[in-house]
Amino acid sequence: MNLDELIATEELCERYSVEHTFIRSLNNSGLLEVITVEKTEYVHCDKMAEFEKMLRLHYDLEINLEGLEAIKHLLDRLSNLKEENVNLRNRLGLYE
Amino acid sequence: MEFIDYYKTLELDKSATKADIKKAYRKLARKYHPDLNPDDESAKKRFQQLNEANEVLSDPDKRKKYDEYGKDWQHADQFEQQKQQRSHERGGFGGFGGGQGQSYSGNFDNDNFSDFFEQMFGGGARARGTGRSPQYKGQDFNAELQLNLSDVYTSHKQTLTVNGKNIRLTIPAGVENEQTIKISGHGGPGAQGGPKGDLYITFKIANNTQFKREKENLYNTVELDFYTALLGGEITADTFDGKVKLTIKPETQNGTKVKLKGKGFTKYKKEGEMGDLYITYNVKVPTNLTSKEKELYTELQKLRS
Repeated sequence: MNLDELIATEELCERYSVEHTFIRSLNNSGLLEVITVEKTEYVHCDKMAEFEKMLRLHYDLEINLEGLEAIKHLLDRLSNLKEENVNLRNRLGLYE
Repeated sequence: MEFIDYYKTLELDKSATKADIKKAYRKLARKYHPDLNPDDESAKKRFQQLNEANEVLSDPDKRKKYDEYGKDWQHADQFEQQKQQRSHERGGFGGFGGGQGQSYSGNFDNDNFSDFFEQMFGGGARARGTGRSPQYKGQDFNAELQLNLSDVYTSHKQTLTVNGKNIRLTIPAGVENEQTIKISGHGGPGAQGGPKGDLYITFKIANNTQFKREKENLYNTVELDFYTALLGGEITADTFDGKVKLTIKPETQNGTKVKLKGKGFTKYKKEGEMGDLYITYNVKVPTNLTSKEKELYTELQKLRS
């Protein structure tokens, strides 16, 4: 794992003005992967967009953790269905 | 520039209390928040309108000004100047205080408030954030790129202009229609020193060839004359990048499909690896038979029955 691609959770808390418990809760619910390297916790930079989304939904719309889990599940399903739809539309071209 | 009915935007009437406004805003924001409506431009627009309406109606000073001038908003500044002059004369005070409204954060183009808002309250009139002042990543940009199928057979470099900036990027071979790729760091600038957003490019690929494509495989139909189908022979068929000679087995049936391994389309992100080409034979039966031909075919028919 390249350390350059990891952001310490401590830094995230400072930068986004959030409690560490929030990041821990996201991790416990499987909403955010936290990586521990030599006793320091990190989040991979690829997961930042997802983290920011959870942050906005939680703080701005006051959606609790259970709500975030449900939303993530539904958004993932939506994304899969959209992908499937594109694939099917591309396949449909074979029969047109 | 049109008058905007902020009460209507928040589905409220003019008697709405501060609590009603907060409740209505929260309810509608949860419905139209861009995080909950990915790739939905109409929801994004509606969310911006909600933010703007909330910005005005949740701030007592802005709401007062809005309620007072309503449809005469274009003359609001004029009225204000006169009013201020009058209050100075009386030794009173006028003008408007700072914003107190809170609009939701995130990279959703919140800055795109309407001209109506800018005209009535000025560019610096909006209150920002929800108390936190996080460093947010910049806005993600979305762009569409129209290409022909033949353009994505091999990787090539192309210069795109996005928001006035030229970006040179490599279009990967084998990219699919409607596929979206992310170009990191080419979006809008971050908030409070946050990182730049990303650029998402969706490819719209038009098929300018005779081939049909499904991922890395190509499909084509080749017409086969009756006698070659019946007795066998050799034909030349088109592939995506040239021609190949094909041996036709005797008694080839109409609709027979053959696979030409490695003659398909480039595999995405695996340049040099190719899919397969599937050719379907469409046997053409002779038409406009002469009487001699008819006679001979009838004889053949008798032989078979």
